[in-house]
Amino acid sequence: MFHSFIKAYNDAVFDTDRESALQVIDKARAHGHSPEEIIFQLVIPAVEEMMDTLSEDPDANLAQHFMTAQIAAEVSEKMLAQFSRPPATVGRVVIGTARGDLHSLGKRIVTGCLKTMMVEVLDLGVNVPAEQFVTQAIAFDAQVIAISAMMVHTANGPEGCRKVRQLLRDQQLEHRFRLVVGGAPYRFDEQLFQQVGADAWAADGVSAGKVILNCIRELQP
Amino acid sequence: MMHPMQILQAALNGQPAPRIPIFCNLLDQGARELGMSQAEYYSRGEHVACGQLAMRDRYGYDNLWSLFYVGREAELLGCQEILFADDGTPNVADYFLRTAADIEQFTIPDDITRHPLWQEIAHCLAILRREARGRFPICAYLTASTTLPALLMGMDKWLELALTGPFTLRDQLLAKCSDFFRKQIAAYRAAGADVLLYSTPFGAASFVGMRRFRQFSLPWMQRDLAPGGIDGVVYYCGTAPFNAVIPEVMQQLGITAHYLSPQDDLAVAKSIIGARGLTCGVIDDIQMIAWSPQQTRQEVARLCRIGMVGGHFLLGTGVMPLAVPEANIRAYLEAAFTYGAWS
Ligand code: B12
Repeated sequence: MFHSFIKAYNDAVFDTDRESALQVIDKARAHGHSPEEIIFQLVIPAVEEMMDTLSEDPDANLAQHFMTAQIAAEVSEKMLAQFSRPPATVGRVVIGTARGDLHSLGKRIVTGCLKTMMVEVLDLGVNVPAEQFVTQAIAFDAQVIAISAMMVHTANGPEGCRKVRQLLRDQQLEHRFRLVVGGAPYRFDEQLFQQVGADAWAADGVSAGKVILNCIRELQP
Repeated sequence: MMHPMQILQAALNGQPAPRIPIFCNLLDQGARELGMSQAEYYSRGEHVACGQLAMRDRYGYDNLWSLFYVGREAELLGCQEILFADDGTPNVADYFLRTAADIEQFTIPDDITRHPLWQEIAHCLAILRREARGRFPICAYLTASTTLPALLMGMDKWLELALTGPFTLRDQLLAKCSDFFRKQIAAYRAAGADVLLYSTPFGAASFVGMRRFRQFSLPWMQRDLAPGGIDGVVYYCGTAPFNAVIPEVMQQLGITAHYLSPQDDLAVAKSIIGARGLTCGVIDDIQMIAWSPQQTRQEVARLCRIGMVGGHFLLGTGVMPLAVPEANIRAYLEAAFTYGAWS
């Protein structure tokens, strides 16, 4: 039963058809499935399947990544409000765009995917100073600091990820946090993430969810 | 001896020439050249023209740019703040369309050429024209209606509106952006720009998929281009790959010159475009930051080897980051003149 819902839901998301995706959820509710079942047995497996499909499909497009995140986040929010008990979180992430960078789309897609995977996300906004990534990560007790940057000078420059790495080193916090980056410059140069001191990167929002989840698991066996 | 404009014409028409056209897009480097902050440099058309002429003189490539920065289009329409950085590109910092009411009330000025900021562009173009004397192609950058809203309201809000509606509001905004595009392309033509780079990331299947490309992007692009036609227009998706749409762009829009993404397969693009148009191969200038001059030369050689088969080929860069070392700019151009020669 659930499998056919997952398939119908994923087909709709793949087709970036929000209306049909939401109809599938309504139908599952009408069949008597609880909000918990819908999240854990439908939406999360569907997003995971989508992660595999989209990250392997050479023709996958930005609209699909955006809609995967958008629809999943929308459904999750609706269902979570109806949960009988608040769900356990998988981990915590602080996310923002690098200092000097005002491009918020990548961050939004990544955030949507993470929230659906039951990861708690603190969105620090755009144009975030390196110091703030660190202080907020400590205060939020995050496992991952995620930095989005769309231009070369914010991805590769001294005020972004490089500085966050330096601060973590200076404050002897490197064992506590994983540093994950993404954005156009990292896609053009796939070695760049290492040069700026990040632990991992991802080429798109959907695989970002996967990569970040792996980092969380590394720190919380 | 042929001058760069004639070399470009020859590449477009498949006529003999000593070499391929070689473009190099050094925008923010102009400020460094003139020893100015970016804010100061971009405040005057005269500075930008001098910067561009100086960069071309120094390196000897073919094209001149009248583009300040892409956010200038947003400023012509109401954006009040640009974030300048001395180590990188300027960025829109004021997304002034925040609500549905903002979009409804938003208007396109009747005559954009009366805007003081347009007058700086016009001044820049006048100087470039005077100095180029028809020998160097002067490029202009124009954002397509389907992409312009990203600069006015932010990419995330725009993608949401574009994909999930409300669609009447979306189409209202698009019609305004398309009207602006039509005025702007006419103004650039009147001011003497030769190459009109039509920047249309939403016209790439890698952005919206094939179905939406046909149903959404194509009709708006037709509307953008209808009154002025496609003379001098070059298709460009902001370096998002777009091989998959080239056949339809050629057929439906009639645009035959394509400025690819470094991530496009050049051989595939060549096989689609062939002698019907101009394939512009683009080096990955983000990798040029870390490459050695030797690696840069090898990449130019590879692009020329694939791209020059059957002629109709131009070599270019993206928006060259300031962090690309001088040695690699030199290596790119030396190699382009060497491997790009028709001997
Ligand atoms: C669309 C686009 C535009 C549009 C819209 C811009 C906007 N406001 O968003 C327009 C045409 C207006 C434009 C303008 C400019 N652009 Co532009 N643009 C692009 C393009 C084609 C796609 C960018 C995009 O929106 N992608 C969609 C988003 C969602 O992708 P993303 O940010 O990469 O995020 C994905 C992944 O990277 C990942 N991800 C993102 N963040 C994170 C974070 C983490 C932690 C993880 C794990 C993953 C992750 O998931 C995301 C979702 O899939 C790229 C080239 C390219 N092929 O990518 C150039 C590009 C980014 N632009 C570039 C430049 C230079 C500019 C300008 C500065 C040009 C100028 N001189 O004015 C202007 C700036 C405009 C402004 N904001 O003021 C350069 C930047 C490199 C550089 N030279 O510094 C690029 C790379 C093009 C190039 N090669 O020259 N641009």
